[in-house]
Amino acid sequence: MKFKKLVTKEEPIKGLTSYVIPTKVKDVVTISGSMLGGILYSDKENPKISSLVSAMLDKGTQKNSKYELSNKLESIGAEISFISSNRHINFTAHCLKPDLELVVELISEQLRSPIFPDDELDLLKKRMIGNLEISKDNTKKQSYINFIRKVYPNNHYNYRSTIEESIQSISLVTEKDLKSFHEKTFGLGSLNIAAAGDISNIQFQDFIKKYFDSWNDQNINSLDSAIPANNRTQAIENKNIDDKTSSDVYIGQSVDVTEDSDDYRNLMMGIYILGGNFSARLMQSVRDEEGLTYGIGSTITGCGYGTTGHWYTWGTFSPNLVEKGIRSTLSVIDKWFAKGVTERELAAKKTTLNGSFQVSLDTTSGLIDKILTNAEKGRNISYLDNYTNKINVLNKDEINRAIKTYLDPKKFITSIAGTKI
Amino acid sequence: MNSQFELIKSSGGIDEYRLKSNGLRVLMLQDLSTPVATFMVTYHVGSRNEAIGYTGSTHLLEHLMFKGSRNYNKENGTAIWDELQSIGAQINATTWNDRTNYFEVVPSEHIEKAISIEADRMRFSFLRDEDRQPEMTVVRNEYERGENSPFDVLDKNIWATAYQAHPYHHSTIGWRSDIENVSTERLKEFYDVYYWPNNATATIIGDFQKDTTLSLIAKYFGEHKKSDHEIPKVYTEEPLQEGPRRIVVKRSGQSGITAVAHKTPPGLDVDMYVFQVLGKILCDGKSSRLYKKIVDQGLATSLFMYDFPFKDNGLFITYAFLTPDTDNQKVEDIILKEYNDIISNGVEDSEIMRAVAQIRASVAFSRDGSYAVASALNEAIAIGDWQFYTSYVEKIELVSAKDIKRVASKYLTEDQSTVGWFIPKNKTK
Repeated sequence: MKFKKLVTKEEPIKGLTSYVIPTKVKDVVTISGSMLGGILYSDKENPKISSLVSAMLDKGTQKNSKYELSNKLESIGAEISFISSNRHINFTAHCLKPDLELVVELISEQLRSPIFPDDELDLLKKRMIGNLEISKDNTKKQSYINFIRKVYPNNHYNYRSTIEESIQSISLVTEKDLKSFHEKTFGLGSLNIAAAGDISNIQFQDFIKKYFDSWNDQNINSLDSAIPANNRTQAIENKNIDDKTSSDVYIGQSVDVTEDSDDYRNLMMGIYILGGNFSARLMQSVRDEEGLTYGIGSTITGCGYGTTGHWYTWGTFSPNLVEKGIRSTLSVIDKWFAKGVTERELAAKKTTLNGSFQVSLDTTSGLIDKILTNAEKGRNISYLDNYTNKINVLNKDEINRAIKTYLDPKKFITSIAGTKI
Repeated sequence: MNSQFELIKSSGGIDEYRLKSNGLRVLMLQDLSTPVATFMVTYHVGSRNEAIGYTGSTHLLEHLMFKGSRNYNKENGTAIWDELQSIGAQINATTWNDRTNYFEVVPSEHIEKAISIEADRMRFSFLRDEDRQPEMTVVRNEYERGENSPFDVLDKNIWATAYQAHPYHHSTIGWRSDIENVSTERLKEFYDVYYWPNNATATIIGDFQKDTTLSLIAKYFGEHKKSDHEIPKVYTEEPLQEGPRRIVVKRSGQSGITAVAHKTPPGLDVDMYVFQVLGKILCDGKSSRLYKKIVDQGLATSLFMYDFPFKDNGLFITYAFLTPDTDNQKVEDIILKEYNDIISNGVEDSEIMRAVAQIRASVAFSRDGSYAVASALNEAIAIGDWQFYTSYVEKIELVSAKDIKRVASKYLTEDQSTVGWFIPKNKTK
């Protein structure tokens, strides 16, 4: 299948690009959209503002109260959700074909005219703080936050606040902050909307024009992405959380590479061979042969939009097997680093990635996710059609060179969270 | 049609065939939307078929089934994961109370590979002791990961309290000491009792050609004979519960959980449809009764309920994840008061209409993609009638306000209840 043939891209209104993909699924339509205004666009003094604005969009509009909105959606079985990612305000909706117009109308209404009631904000803050309190007990989250804070300085886009800092930020957000952020951020300009399923492009364009026309323009500047990571140094972070029967371990470091560079794909493939799936080296050795973990894998992330990112290995171990598990993991990584990947591994993983790409298009959500992410990164649709070619041209020597160039096993950061024994 | 099969019935676009030589049931649903297909084998065996000493065996056996079989193994360079992941397949297996399923979502041109692998391990899995040793610790870590979660721990305790004789008493992962000590011989015995074509359903959904695929299924599964023994039936029934039960779990944590559970009838009982609607009215969405009374009052960060239809009786459980400093008793009282209100006053027709619309839409959403369809069908197969899947919405649409009042009065009684609390101690700073 060719995306270029399947997808209809239009700009029905200036500053709003739509992507429509009719599929053979019966009655169901999935919509996803995004615009600039994510977490990184929050005021410097309070990084939680964007997240709270997104979470408050369904708490009442100039036309409908919170309960009127939820009643309208639930009475047709439709769902709309909003969330702030690092750079974008994202929304997703599912509905049945006859209800598409109402759902587009409600998406527009919630984006355009939320009222941010004070009492709802207090309630939301209480729930969000409650969830954060609960996550203090989450070994995976605590381990990852400690890892990330060692990798990046606090002005880097991939940096993460501690749970306590997040609680403090949320408690300080006011209704005025939300209204001000909404006013200066929400609008046309960078809005992308993708829809897939049992849908006609002509009808969808009509709805978009009807409900998004005459929305104000926003000219949001791109962020300066050239912030370096911390200098690499070997470090071990250890967080004790009582009464835990499994510990979470992250091992990794920053990588001075961005998604747009050729070496990104080389490094991505090398790391995929190390720990991208069950048949990769880490799962085969640390789990399948030694039985030390239920799951272990590795990935490269945070390298989009011109920002340099990091790679990591994540695994879980029984508290009394943490040391052995880390030793085993490092032994696999050391061997991979020293000797590189093989032709056979590369050939197998090329077909894996190409086949996975095809399989991921089996659902409307899978299709939309690919198209919207591609649009957010400013790429043409043809980029998706060329994906397999980009994978197929990778070669072993370039991958092994990239591994040696961008990784340094002497300077790994190790972060452990669980019950110390 | 391929003469090795007989067509048994059709419903909702799904055709059921039977492989005459060994009784393997085959379900087929063609959908040519994308060049992808899901192949799945469901064995009619789950943790329901276990007993003390070998709880968790069905699940441990599921893990060992990936360790190699006659034609697919590491030794000859055809390990199952390698063979399937190298073609981009999504591959896994799951075990639950009433069934174990193995599935592959593959680019359509690779359907034969999936069929061949599943047929091979149906009767020729190695199940070696040297594989069980490291896999036991893998499964133990899976158990340990679950034990990290206060919800998982409370949920296990509620089932163990509500069900005392019936094997739903123990969770699918099993008790830790059973996971550690069950012998390879016991697992082999389990395999030889239950892993036969006449105790399995093969399902294929998505982009495939019917005749070709039936021929492939006959070619690979046809080499197995029918079991020469009857597949054992579970005959243990739960005795009548004669009073309310409570369970309290205290562990390090940050916030409490309150859960209220009541016994429900078997999955194929007509009252289960009533429970499905009632669950939506109580807990699904921001307009639901308990959301307004608990989450919207700041007493809980979230709320959910489940009432999965199982082969035997189940549980209708409401869970509230409390905000810090909320009292467990206060939320328990609100939940029970709401149940009592429904018993006394019933529900509005508008609430039923909303719940039915939610279910109708969620069923349509759950048919988006071949794996989603296979997954939903798998649970219908498990409870004993795959047409539960195709007739579900139709049956849901028949539920009335009178039914809800009757079912609530019959099942949501104090004597049939099991209440569970998670109480946090030693809060993490």
